[in-house]
Formats: sequence, C-alpha cells, structure tokens
Amino acid sequence: MATFLQQVVNGLSLGSVYALIAVGYSLVYSILLFSNFAHGGFLVVGGYAAYGMLNSMGMNIWAAGAGAIMAAGVVAIVTERMAYRPIRERTSATLYLLIASMGVSIVIENVFVVTIGGRYRALPEVFPSQPIVLAAREAGEAALRFFPGAAEGLTPLLTISAFDLISLGVTVVFLLLLQMFLMRTRWGLAIRAAACDLRTAGLMGVNVNLLIAIVFFVAGALAAVGGIFLATRYTLYPQLGNMITTKAFVAAVIGGLGSLPGAVIGGILLGLAEMLTAGFISSQMRDFVVFALLIATLIIKPSGLFGRDIRDKV
Amino acid sequence: MKKSLLGALFLAALGAALAYVPMDYYTEGILMLLCINMIAAMGVSLLTGFTGIFTLGHAAYMAMGAYTAAILIMNYDVPWLPSVLAGGVLAAALAWVVGVPTMKLTGDYYAIASLGLCEAIRLVIENWQSVTRGARGIPGIDPYTTRAVAVWFFVILALFMFNLIYSRWGRYFRACRDDVTAASLLGFNTPSIRLVSLLISAFYCGIAGALLGGYLSFIQPAMFDMMKSTELTSLVVFGGLGSMSGTLLATGIITLITELFRPISQYRMLIYGAVLVMVMVLRPDGLLGSREIWEFRRRRAGAGKEESR
Repeated sequence: MATFLQQVVNGLSLGSVYALIAVGYSLVYSILLFSNFAHGGFLVVGGYAAYGMLNSMGMNIWAAGAGAIMAAGVVAIVTERMAYRPIRERTSATLYLLIASMGVSIVIENVFVVTIGGRYRALPEVFPSQPIVLAAREAGEAALRFFPGAAEGLTPLLTISAFDLISLGVTVVFLLLLQMFLMRTRWGLAIRAAACDLRTAGLMGVNVNLLIAIVFFVAGALAAVGGIFLATRYTLYPQLGNMITTKAFVAAVIGGLGSLPGAVIGGILLGLAEMLTAGFISSQMRDFVVFALLIATLIIKPSGLFGRDIRDKV
Repeated sequence: MKKSLLGALFLAALGAALAYVPMDYYTEGILMLLCINMIAAMGVSLLTGFTGIFTLGHAAYMAMGAYTAAILIMNYDVPWLPSVLAGGVLAAALAWVVGVPTMKLTGDYYAIASLGLCEAIRLVIENWQSVTRGARGIPGIDPYTTRAVAVWFFVILALFMFNLIYSRWGRYFRACRDDVTAASLLGFNTPSIRLVSLLISAFYCGIAGALLGGYLSFIQPAMFDMMKSTELTSLVVFGGLGSMSGTLLATGIITLITELFRPISQYRMLIYGAVLVMVMVLRPDGLLGSREIWEFRRRRAGAGKEESR
C-alpha cells in the first residue's frame, strides 16, 4: 500500500510535467492544426539555458528559471518567424509545417551536440532532495534493530521527495496562470477564438501573426519549465526532447488533440500509468505502456477524452 | 514503342550492367548500400510523397525485416530468400496493426503513432533477450546480400513501384494526398487506400532492413533509431514529395555525400535538419517537385497540360 501511494505521488509529479509540455503542444495544435515536433527542442533549450545560468553565471534558481523561460520563449518565436510563417503564408497544407518542425527539432538537438557535446549533465542541486515523511508509526524493537536510523523510534511508512512536491506545486501554479491568461485577458479571448477558427478571428480584427507569436512564446515558456524539472529528474542531454515529445504527444492524443484540459488529464494519466507500471510490473515496460495506451486510445476513442469530433465541413 | 516498356528495359539493362560489371570492393559496397537505401526510400516516398502521410517511424519496419530475416536464418536454417521475403511480410503485418486504427483518422495521428512505434519496437528488441540477443545485436549473419542480390531486388522493386504509381492505384493514392474529403465523396474507400499504401511501404522497408542485415552481417537495435527514420523521410522531402525518381536521385546524392563527408559526420544530422527546414521554406517542391525526371522535357516542349498516363 505504501509503495502504491508512493508511486501515485511519483506519477502525479511526472504526469504534471508531461501535462505542462502537452498543454503547450496542444495550444499550438489548436491554432495551427499541426504537430510541432520542435516542441521538444524548446524544452531542451530551456534546460540548457537554466544549466548555463546556474553553473557559469551563478544565478539562483528563480533567476535561472526566468531566464530559461525567456530563452525558450524567444527560440519558439524565432522558430515560428523563420521557419513556419513563410510556409503557412504560402500554403494551408500542414504536411510542410510538420516536416519543417521535424527539421527544426533536429537542428536544435544537434546544435547542442556539436557545440556543447552530447554527454549527460546533471543540474546543480537546486531542489531539495531529502524525503519528507508523511506517515509513520511507532517502531517496534525489531525495526529499531534492523534500521538503527529510524529516528526517534518512528519508521517512515510513506515518504515522498520534496522535489516531487515542488514540481507538482510549480506545475499547478503555471497551469493556473495559463488558465487565467486564456480566460481573463483580451489576448486569451483572441486565442480561444482562433482555436475555433483562425481565419475568422483574423477577419474580426485580431492580429494573427502577433497572436501566433504569443502562442509560441507561451508554449516555449511552459516547455522550459517542464524541461528544468525533467533535467533534474533524468539529467540533461540533447535527445531529452525526443523522448519527452513522444510522451507529450501521446498525452495530448489521449486527452483529445487540441484540447487543453484534455492535455492536462492525459499527461497526468500517462505519468500515473508509467510510474505504476515501473513500480509493479517492470521499469523497462513503462515506455511500452505509453505506446499501448496510444494504440488503445486510437482504437477505442480516437478523438480522445475531451476532443471535439471535428469533421471537415465541405 | 510504349514508354513504360522502354523504361522497364532501361532499368533491366542498368541492373544487368551494375550486377555483373567488375568493380572494386569499395565501390561495390557503396553500390549495395545505395540499392538498400533506395528500396527503403521508395517505400517512404510512396507513403509520404504519394499518399501524403507523414512518418517518423519507418526504421521500425526496417528493424522488423532485419530481425525476422536474421532470426529465421540463424535459428531455423531457413534459406535466405524466403527469410528476406518473410521480413518484408512481417513488416507489413506490423504496419497493419498500427495502420488499421490510424489510417481512418485524418490529422497527425499516424505521425505520432509512428514515433511511438519506433520506440516500442526498439524496446521489444532490447528486452526480448532470448530471441533477439537484446542491445548486443546479432553478429555473424550469413552475408547473403551479394551485389547481384541487392541490385536485382532494387530493379524488381523499382519496376513494381513505377508501375504502381502510374496505375489506377497510384491515382487513388494521389487523390487521398490531395484531398481526402473529396476523394471519399467520390466514393473511394480512403482508409483502405491509405492502408494499402502503408502496407506496401512497410514491405519495402522490411525488405531493405533484411538486405541490410545480410550486407553488414550484423544488426543491433541502435541501427534502427529515430535518426534512421528521419533520414528516410528527409530523403523523400529532398527529392520532392510526389516524385519517385526524385527520391531515387536524392538518395543517390545524399548517400554519396555522406560517403564523401565521413570525416565531419557529427555535423551530418545538423545539416540534414537545416536542409529539411530550408527545403520546406525556400523550395517545398524539393529537387524535382511532383514530376518524374522524364516528364520534364515533355513539359518544356510546350504541351503544358497535366498528364499522367
């Protein structure tokens, strides 16, 4: 039971990070209707920016986090401006955008391989990693004999790492901020309108190019936050984005492509599924479970949990 | 004389020449690699260029073909030719499993599923130690892919492919690429047409993978990673979406360039990525656009009308 609860907390923490990344991806998808494969690249940019600022500039985590968000956001805007805008102004076929985004993702990954090198890097200790005891019971004599470290006669029943709690908390804060931005501001209204119909939103006087730039900035910023947490969890390397992008995409499909609440729920479900598989079946199977969930979703309900069943209007 | 017959004769003559003209060991190796790459690229070209379905996981089908053939030959003493063909068929079977749910859907579902597929296959190979020997790979496969085998497989598959794209089915595929809604309104069963395209494309990649195993005498899961999938897709994009001869031309150019620039191979993927983006931004048609290489002269001659036999 204690293992189960621990894996649930782990899963929630990992899932919330997936949710952050999936939301950014889904946001872009809802406006431009293509899968931005470069999304994982933004995450890696955020991770390396934080790494650089923490290590060589000696900033604290708040400044480095803000810097990473800015860096990834700016890279996202530049990507959109340089690679996607010329294409979407010329054609409405999304295949070209898809291929270009694949190219951008390879470029970002390999820029880091060539300049910084492909080895694994650990972020400096910025998050407390000591366990927090949530539940404990009085230890019997036996426990004290086997675990002399059991402090003050208590054996921990349920511990979670402080990092998991922080990552969960920060993610929730960012998701709430996004929710407020989308619901309470004029640009948020414009983005919601554009998600229904980009062209009509443009005809109603929304500056479409600015709107898309804002959307990409938000997506990049959320990816950077996710990137910092993932880099802490798994260490940082240029291919980190690939692995995570696949999972974020799957999360978005499970929740319904283009639906933001769907992306959040999908991300959390995926995190839970992964961690429970790792805890109770085998940790090698966790990535396979992701794929199985994807295929199951596509067979049972391709529009996902919250997806609108969009049919082309003829 | 019919042009298609002329083309077939040309291909056969080219094949005979390449298969039996004496050449040195190094050139022979490049030629075989070229044939194998071209077979795989033709498969991806059919799916992405002609049917308009983006893929990031075709290396999974190559892995399927390579492992099937290697295991059949090594563990069950099956002769090489049925093993290679079985590799292609099993790759197509794998594609069927993924394709049935995804080909019904328009949107990026197949692209996402193909990403996951590539990962899942790699995981299965790495963890199914008793059969696949895991990440260590399978060494010492009979080198059954001789030059003649590679060349003739390429010639036969190329002949079939060019006949396919000029056939009724080729037009179905293009109809699905250009407008799925319109095609289904005209009464085409678009999901099964897209599925057929995927199956053929997976079969080609399975054969290519099986031949690659016989060429290198060694396979391991790391050879069939996402980089390989991306490489295949970028070949098709570079050659021109909807041009089979463009794909072949691009494969030739890129394989040779890769050989020439072996010393700076760490920049290879960077250049690939940049080329993909630049082609999409500056020249989305790729090298040849959606025309075949022999359709250019006719167009320039002033006929100007859209013609597809």
